[in-house]
Amino acid sequence: MEMSHIRNFSIIAHIDHGKSTLADRILEVTNAVSKREAKAQLLDSMDLERERGITIKLNTAALHYNYNKEEYNLNLIDTPGHVDFSYEVSRSLAACEGAILVVDASQGIEAQTLANLYLALENDLTIIPVINKIDLPSADVPKVKKELKDLLGFSDEEIILTSAKTGEGVEELVNRIIEVVPSPKGKREDKLQALIFDSVFDSYRGVIISVRIVNGRLKVGDTIRLMDTNAEFEVVELMVNTPKEEKRDVLEAGEVGFIAASIKNIADVRVGDTITNAKNPSLERLPGYKPMKSMVFCGLFPIESSRFEELRDALSKLKLNDASLVFEPETSTALGFGFRCGFLGLLHMDIIKERITREFGIEIITTAPSVVYEALLTSGEIMMIDAPNKMPEQTKIKEVREPYIKTSIFTPSEYIGPIMELCQNKRGNYLSMEYIDATRVNIHYELPLSEIVYDFFDKLKSYTKGYASFDYELIGYRPSNLVKMDILLNGDVIDALSTIVHKDFSYNRGKNVVEHLKEAIPRQLFEIPIQAAIGNKIIARSTVKALRKDVLAKCYGGDVTRKRKLLEKQKEGKKKMKQIGSVELPQEAFMSILQVDDE
Amino acid sequence: MKRSALYIHIPFCLDICSYCDFCKFYYDDNYANKYLESLDREVSSFYKKDLMKSIYIGGGTPSCLSPTNLERLFSITKKIKLLPQYEFTFECNIKDISEELLKILKANRVNRISIGIETINEKFYEFLNRYNDKKEIKTKIALVKKYFTNINIDLMYGFPNESIDDLKKDLDFFKELDVPHISIYSLIIEENTKLFIQKIKPLAEEIESDMYYYIIKYLKELGYVHYEISNFSKEGYQSIHNLTYWNNEEYYGFGLSSGGYVDGIRYTNTRSLNNYLKGNYRLEEEKINLHTNMENEMILGLRKIEGVNKKHFLKKFCSNVEDIFDIIEMINENWLQDKDGYISIVEDKLYLSNHILVNFIGGVNE
Repeated sequence: MEMSHIRNFSIIAHIDHGKSTLADRILEVTNAVSKREAKAQLLDSMDLERERGITIKLNTAALHYNYNKEEYNLNLIDTPGHVDFSYEVSRSLAACEGAILVVDASQGIEAQTLANLYLALENDLTIIPVINKIDLPSADVPKVKKELKDLLGFSDEEIILTSAKTGEGVEELVNRIIEVVPSPKGKREDKLQALIFDSVFDSYRGVIISVRIVNGRLKVGDTIRLMDTNAEFEVVELMVNTPKEEKRDVLEAGEVGFIAASIKNIADVRVGDTITNAKNPSLERLPGYKPMKSMVFCGLFPIESSRFEELRDALSKLKLNDASLVFEPETSTALGFGFRCGFLGLLHMDIIKERITREFGIEIITTAPSVVYEALLTSGEIMMIDAPNKMPEQTKIKEVREPYIKTSIFTPSEYIGPIMELCQNKRGNYLSMEYIDATRVNIHYELPLSEIVYDFFDKLKSYTKGYASFDYELIGYRPSNLVKMDILLNGDVIDALSTIVHKDFSYNRGKNVVEHLKEAIPRQLFEIPIQAAIGNKIIARSTVKALRKDVLAKCYGGDVTRKRKLLEKQKEGKKKMKQIGSVELPQEAFMSILQVDDE
Repeated sequence: MKRSALYIHIPFCLDICSYCDFCKFYYDDNYANKYLESLDREVSSFYKKDLMKSIYIGGGTPSCLSPTNLERLFSITKKIKLLPQYEFTFECNIKDISEELLKILKANRVNRISIGIETINEKFYEFLNRYNDKKEIKTKIALVKKYFTNINIDLMYGFPNESIDDLKKDLDFFKELDVPHISIYSLIIEENTKLFIQKIKPLAEEIESDMYYYIIKYLKELGYVHYEISNFSKEGYQSIHNLTYWNNEEYYGFGLSSGGYVDGIRYTNTRSLNNYLKGNYRLEEEKINLHTNMENEMILGLRKIEGVNKKHFLKKFCSNVEDIFDIIEMINENWLQDKDGYISIVEDKLYLSNHILVNFIGGVNE
């Protein structure tokens, strides 16, 4: 296909604003799939994505479309919408020339819409603003139009109105893509430069790489070189996704497709790397991506210790299309061998956890998420602390610093009060507030990152009946009066339950944690004392009483099947618990150390 | 495998008890008629004319049937063949007991009467929606004794705010009645019951456990043998019927919501009266494989105080029970004991039996 007839674009949107449904409609308009065969939300192929309604793994679709009697090739590159995945967004945007900015007709602009929009602008993309869900009774098109004009400077003519549900406006949108999104700029006669923007592992074909050919052309049988790792492979297959897989003999500058080259070693392929032709190599790399820094760390431990290697394998496979996932082996006296993993955020952490359980069938325990602290030692050395039990002794520390963030909280103005209260309770400093229009504001606070890793988002949602949206950026480290709080079960310190807390809040926190642990730890055959301690000082205590009753006193014969089912359920519950010494701990116990009751 | 027991469920009651999650409806003569017709068809098509050592008619409240419907019910049980040493139990409500009823039962081969009393403590009547009259109970039991010697009484304990003193009063009353069998169950707040909807909090497990061991002590002193977690009897009066369940033997289950175990298949009947009347009896069936069967042998057998007979296990499965399950480990934990050829739960762990039984689920060593 001539470059002038290619358009590469992606869709950016806040969660729930209808991105995936809109993508489906675009596939329909371009006849890529018939309505009958369209499974709802075709591009979201993982079960997990469909359940959570968000897009995790990158996907692309190559579509053919006739416009003014000429055939065009449209490549839709899907992006995740959540703030945790902004790294993935930036890499899919790097493969495009244009982006559709979707805003929900009843919700208006949200915090994440803006964050993604800024990313798109950084990548020099042409933006097509779309107001979606105009069929909803609650739609307020004039208001959202005004937001787009006032806040982002679009004009009336630029804004397209669609309903992905009914299909209204979608054809106009596709035509607009052809009209305004620039065609790719590369040179086909140049040396090959292709950007790797995704990869997945296929057990039959090895690593499958998603590429955008920037310059030159790539043929089946060519020997390619991956410039970061210098690994070389012969191209076995070239494919595009229409969205059914379709084989190609050649991919040329401007095009987007997949490469299979019998790549067995996952580590050879790095997202952001440049591919060139080994026989006639380009010496220049494409800009690639700047690696995202992990914000949240937690320990991942297999419940069955023997599955440590399987867990390593699973993490390696997940890392293949998720470079932002980092992990290194970690040993805990309580939990045995596992991995300390870094994530972009909490949602990212949840998704990795679930994928390990679902796709690899490994039951895991995760320790409470923690941020990375900075300790200035008396020796003058600076130490990064990504796990509470790595905190040095109090006497060796001169100062502890913690990461702070600046928030953007978009909310209807009636919730300003509750949000400010929430932020104050999380040790926040008020910065400023902007009115977006008469009824909506954007609130800025400085908050310690550690305060938002656990339940901030849930609380924000519940305080505002789901109306507020939230985004943040890291603004640096600040000194803070922090101490390590240990938890003792049966008199033994359980290293996996330690947390770093602000000293002024430590007594309350300790009391809170032991009470939550008491609820989270099921009664066992013996009594279990729970204590919270700072150094050698016990600051709170509680007890899990011994189990006294676990019986079906009433059990008639007809109940045999039912009795068995009850026992099977009990057994399932047991399998999800981790044996530490003589105590069995469920996952909730590890999370309960971060639970804080509202006063 | 041979089955030797047969259960029939009569899902009608005149009053509904607050804790009951069995399948039951308010009594309606017309529906009872139709029900018995369908029951007759079910028995005719599934009962294979084999000899039974036990029949058990439970509910609901079988005794609430009208004399005509009772005759209809017994015309069904007439077709069932019984061994010479049989047990035939019929569940009765105290209020329904009359000379007339007892005569009908006697004439239809019934030889064991089971009566639900639950408690004679007035402060729990409203809570349970069951109203007893001590004098009436005494008169009625005396009347039953004129016709029958094998009698069971059901009691309950573990009501919210109940004390050991309250429990003792119920046991003292039971002692006065002097019957040879007692089933004593703790109150369980089941979903889909009035108590659950009212969000009743169960009694603290410490107190309930103390009550349980108090009951064992009390009844043993009276000469009752504790033979199953919740059942006690005088020598020779153990329930043949319930033991078929705990011995993991096969049995027929007929009627709405009944469960049965026939030819290696465990089945459960529909709980929908409409489906049942239409003849759609079976809700689900499960073929029991060897592993599940061995597990069932243990989780059911360990409800008996004597436990599982090792020789019997060997004969049935051609394997030693210790080779199949981690018995030794559980003996070391002091959960199980190996005594006189039987594996059983140690007495002070009886009230934690699920905690032990759960180790048998999926516990077959390969």
